[in-house]
Amino acid sequence: CSRAKDVTMPAKLPVNFFSTRSAVIDLFRGQLDYADQLRQDSEIVLYFFYAPWCGQSIAARGEIEHVASRLSDQVLFVAVNCWWNQGKCRKQKHFFYFPVIHLYHQSFGPIEYKGPMSAVYIEKFVRRVMTPLLYISSRSKLLDFLSNYEPGVVGFFEFNASPQPPGYLTFFTSALHSLKKDYLGTIRFGVVTDKRVAEEISLVHSGSVYLHRHANTSLIYPKDIMNFTAENICKWALENREMLIRWLRPHGGKSLLLNNELKKGPALLIFIPYNPLAEIHPLLDEITKVALEYHKCNKSQAAEADLQHAGDSDSPAFDSSVTDAQLQFSETFPIAKYPCCNTVVLPQWHSISRTHNVCELCVNQTLGVKPNKVHVPHCNFLEIEAALDSFYLQEHTFFQVISNTIECSNFLSFYSPFSYYTACCRTVNRHFLSFMSSEKTIFQTPKVAFSSHGKKDNTQFSIPHIEDRNCFIPDLNISSTNITGLSCRTNKTLNLYLLDSNLFWIYAERLGASRSTHLKEFAAIVDLKEEVHYVLDQNQSLVGPTLENFIKNFSVLYSPLKRHLVDDPSVHSAEEHVVTEVTTSTFQQTVFLSAKNVLLLYYAQWCGFCASLNHIFIQLARLLPPDSFTVARIDVTRNDLPWEFMTDRLPTILFFPHQRKEQSVKFPEDFSVNLPNLLKFVLHHSSLSSSEPCTKECLHKESVLQQGHISHLEREIQKLRSEISALHQAHDQLEAQLSEARREEQRLQQQKHTLEKQHKTLQLHSEQLQATYDQKNQELLEMAEKLQELADASENLLKENALLRILVASRGGKLQSKDEIEEPLQSEQTLPEDNDISLSTATAALEEKRIDNIDTIETEDSSGNRTE
Amino acid sequence: GSGAAARGLDVASYRERVRAMFYHAYEHYLESAFPYDELRPLTCDGQDTWGSFSLTLIDALDTLLILGNVSEFQRVVSVLQEGVDFDIDVNASVFETNIRVVGGLLSAHLLSRKAGLEVEAGWPCSGPLLRMAEEAARKLLPAFQTPTGMPYGTVNLLHGVNPGETPVTCTAGIGTFIVEFATLSHLTGDPVFEDVARKALKALWKNRSDIGLVGNHIDVITAKWVAQDAGIGAGVDSYFEYLVKGAILLQDKELMSMFLEYNKAIKNYTKFDDWYLWVQMYKGTVSMPVFQSLEAYWPGLQSLIGDVDNAMRTFLNYYTVWKQFGGLPEFYNIPQGYTVDKREGYPLRPELIESAMYLYRATRDPTLLELGRDAVESIEKISKVDCGFATIKDLRDHRLDNRMESFFLAETIKYLYLLFDPDNFIHNDGSDFDVVVTPYGECVLNAGGYIFNTEAHPIDPAALHCCRKRREEQWEVEDLMREFYSRKKTKKLTLKRAPDHGEGENAKDSQDASSEKAGEKRKSKKSSHSLLSCPSQSFNSKLAVLGQVFLDNT
Repeated sequence: CSRAKDVTMPAKLPVNFFSTRSAVIDLFRGQLDYADQLRQDSEIVLYFFYAPWCGQSIAARGEIEHVASRLSDQVLFVAVNCWWNQGKCRKQKHFFYFPVIHLYHQSFGPIEYKGPMSAVYIEKFVRRVMTPLLYISSRSKLLDFLSNYEPGVVGFFEFNASPQPPGYLTFFTSALHSLKKDYLGTIRFGVVTDKRVAEEISLVHSGSVYLHRHANTSLIYPKDIMNFTAENICKWALENREMLIRWLRPHGGKSLLLNNELKKGPALLIFIPYNPLAEIHPLLDEITKVALEYHKCNKSQAAEADLQHAGDSDSPAFDSSVTDAQLQFSETFPIAKYPCCNTVVLPQWHSISRTHNVCELCVNQTLGVKPNKVHVPHCNFLEIEAALDSFYLQEHTFFQVISNTIECSNFLSFYSPFSYYTACCRTVNRHFLSFMSSEKTIFQTPKVAFSSHGKKDNTQFSIPHIEDRNCFIPDLNISSTNITGLSCRTNKTLNLYLLDSNLFWIYAERLGASRSTHLKEFAAIVDLKEEVHYVLDQNQSLVGPTLENFIKNFSVLYSPLKRHLVDDPSVHSAEEHVVTEVTTSTFQQTVFLSAKNVLLLYYAQWCGFCASLNHIFIQLARLLPPDSFTVARIDVTRNDLPWEFMTDRLPTILFFPHQRKEQSVKFPEDFSVNLPNLLKFVLHHSSLSSSEPCTKECLHKESVLQQGHISHLEREIQKLRSEISALHQAHDQLEAQLSEARREEQRLQQQKHTLEKQHKTLQLHSEQLQATYDQKNQELLEMAEKLQELADASENLLKENALLRILVASRGGKLQSKDEIEEPLQSEQTLPEDNDISLSTATAALEEKRIDNIDTIETEDSSGNRTE
Repeated sequence: GSGAAARGLDVASYRERVRAMFYHAYEHYLESAFPYDELRPLTCDGQDTWGSFSLTLIDALDTLLILGNVSEFQRVVSVLQEGVDFDIDVNASVFETNIRVVGGLLSAHLLSRKAGLEVEAGWPCSGPLLRMAEEAARKLLPAFQTPTGMPYGTVNLLHGVNPGETPVTCTAGIGTFIVEFATLSHLTGDPVFEDVARKALKALWKNRSDIGLVGNHIDVITAKWVAQDAGIGAGVDSYFEYLVKGAILLQDKELMSMFLEYNKAIKNYTKFDDWYLWVQMYKGTVSMPVFQSLEAYWPGLQSLIGDVDNAMRTFLNYYTVWKQFGGLPEFYNIPQGYTVDKREGYPLRPELIESAMYLYRATRDPTLLELGRDAVESIEKISKVDCGFATIKDLRDHRLDNRMESFFLAETIKYLYLLFDPDNFIHNDGSDFDVVVTPYGECVLNAGGYIFNTEAHPIDPAALHCCRKRREEQWEVEDLMREFYSRKKTKKLTLKRAPDHGEGENAKDSQDASSEKAGEKRKSKKSSHSLLSCPSQSFNSKLAVLGQVFLDNT
């Protein structure tokens, strides 16, 4: 028994985790060494480290099998049980969670996959590991590559010179490296081998690397500052990439991701179903377009008329040739961030004049590239030089300009057919005021200018020409009709985020996405600081224009957006409860518009203090007349209410008196919530009483009240009746118990009688026994006496015998003395022998007698024994 | 876990798997171990552990009903009525007997009508199971006969406290009676149970350290702390739990104010990065940087009083430990990220699952269902044997031990099932209720808000009200209703009396208890808000799911 206590059992032996038919090699005994061997055979290997007991491993198993079935011809899938404590894997690796997915690209790795455990995402990632670099063969491919909303890094490597140009391997590795940091691969890496294609993005030398950005200047990897290593390239790209719109993909563990992002300011969360494997994402493209427009910001002008400013000192190719004075200007100019623009102060016409003509000269070499996609590529010193040259050639055209308006001119460079210049000139007072205003006006410049030029230049870019035009100057109020650059014009800047509704729809539901819709598209603006959120009308489909409107409506001063109140959809108003369940949507109707007194309980299901009051409110609701009182409650975790009706503690009890609904009263918190207190509270505040003289109406009311009273009393009577019946029941029960008890008593009485009888007989018996005992004792004593007598007699006999012997002996002696002395020895020998025996028996008898005298009371048995 | 997995979680199928787990263990207990206290799953036999009361059967009784098995519930009730005898010469733990036996019988008593048993006319204020619970509780009363009112840890059911019994009792062994004992007092009308439980609670409160913490073990004769480690886990855990649950069950401000004071000290001294460590009770210095399996009840408790954000953050910490081992080791060294020597076992404890159930009620966060999924998979894969479910002796290699504690069926399975069964009657939010006519009047019962004792036996707060308060209030309510309909005539009556102080009769006591420290604070507190309330959730709680946590705005 005690041994069983120490019985233990080792863990069960591991078995197959994946089915043997699956494309995944299952090393369920944790043979890590074998897993390493396998790696030699395949270029791409995926390791799935699992623990057989782990729910997440089990959930991911199917997903991995799915991916394996699609990619098994190119990728080796190896699953390793990394829990089995006899296995190599467990001994060598120390994981804090399961499953862990590692990928190897030949010798590079491990690259850990940290994304969602869903087949499409995993497959996408594996494919990225398979081809970390995209080969860009033509200009159109390049445009496609750059037009993507995800940041793109392009490397230019000329392969004709040597089989593998220097730096190419490093670049390739950096692409793999970026997958380590960035599990979703939001930075894409491309490689260009054609010199002419490379020129598009002003890459001239083989081995240069280019980071494309939409709203900011694109960058070239500064080889002279940073070593050309895979880590550095990756780091550089990650640090400098543009994040106009970001995917949010919470990993499921404890994380501050949303906290950190939403604390930055109001955020627009856009939920769309996303398939990472899909070739095209039309909706995503549309949203990206809106995001780009929104962020064009101070560069909006640049984007339109490609007004750029050469003030970006970060730009590695920047070299200002302007004078100090000009620099000064460019510094004071608020839009000094344009990377590829140059401010040119024109020679003054009138030296006394305190005004200057200032021109903003910008280079745009992207006209050949699709408009709206690639607006501001990299700035090149040569180009600026060329632009300046061209500009000074045309200088005279600008001298006349003395106006408060801005005039812009576009002209093509005679160096590059892909570039053209924009010059926007205006007269400037030295007072900054006018600059400030001009800044604004610049931003207002509409798109028209750009698109028209884009088209024109696309068709006839080979012909240098000058175009003069007056830029449109709108009013200084922020236009609510244009989203372009809105993010900088408003002080309510939004950060834009995307969420995959296949994975994170729950957040949308939390924000009030309707559960009935099949289309999982949803957009909401969340302002954590103000504790409000707005929802894009769910009857509108989520497309560019509606999104734009949504953003614009948020941005304007008197926003027409209304705080969204999330409603509990699970409450069915059709269901009748004793305590009325109020929701956001029925609040007004049930509480405010109803012609009854309303007692409203604010509660939450999880709050212990609320739930334990349920029965009290049910009782109250059953007590109060339903035609003049409503007892209601609202779950405030699931139902938002207008600010004025919010409460910060739960439970809270409010009373809304009939006809004075605005004068709601709160049940005082330091009173305990019980039926009498609630009744008093209701009674005190309800508006039934009136001391005014009774009119017909009052009489009517009175009669209604009395009617109510009557029905209440009837109910009370009903209750009392049922109480009586319960009492009867209890009575019957007691009766039954009583009779049972009586029966029991009787039974006991009888038992007592029989017991008494038994007792008597027993007593008799014992008396008899006593008598026999006494008798026996008597007999014993008599016996003893007899024995004594016998003993005495025998003693006497012995004495007599001895005397006789002496007598005989003396007689014999006399006889012998008379005869000869020949035979006396023989007779003397036999005689003492006899004498000895008789003596001993005599002493024994004497001793027995003595014992008898000491123990006078002896049991029959022992005395019997003795007598026997 | 990722969203994809959460999305695909089939709640109904997991619910059925939990049900199957229950019957696998339950049937083997009946077959191989009954009438012993526990099943030994590796040797397929039974043993007595905490007494000799067929403990697993008593403990599992209300789980049967929660799984919907009415007929078996009825059968077991009759078996227990005939078979269990408390007049036995057995040394029993006062604490364990209370939470498992008294608690189990009380909840079975309160659920018996729902289970279709014919109840006697006086139910819920009388009944055979209630009488059994009372009998068991009376056997424990001798332990409370100490100078301090704090009970001994062990009592002989036949002879009372053994001469030479150790006077050292753990804190939880002193402060874990109010739920069962107050229920007994309310239902039976005998105040003695509630009185001793309160006296013990107050003794602990009086003996807290200057910085507001209590230690692990105390001498019940001299009131000297023998073990001075302060924390929220083993040895202390259910004391804090019962302060909150007692406050809710009895609408008792005094208990709540005690808890809130402790809560402050706990946050100040033991909380680090959403973990709770062990500290020296007088100095507040860290003595063990350890997380204990038993501490995992804390997030659930926090959710009951509305501290859902903090609860979720701590829960997520604990969940990472589960993911590392497939269970929670008794001790987990936080800085080292590994188990502690000799404390690597996992006896299939319920605490983390319990918290997941409470938090799921509050947040509906799929992460919590994922924990449930992980628990089902782990327990089935690791500890299921032919005869039941075996305690995991060592989480590092998943070696099994020959024991299946009764809390596995009473708590672990129950909370798992409730996590996967959001429509269970236990989760009733007050939309459903029963009206019961008793000889003393009409009662509203089963309106939700069940308070689970620390062994997961649910107590209906409405029943307590039915048997005591309602009778007190009945005539007052009658008068008020009369007045209500004839208000015009007697208007002056409608003024309220002074505020009740918790339970009325305890008003004096509560002032005594909190005089030194909480006295002044309470005055200021009173003006801000009631102690018996939760804060409403902040705006960002809408987005605090799938692992996302938010830092306070202020």
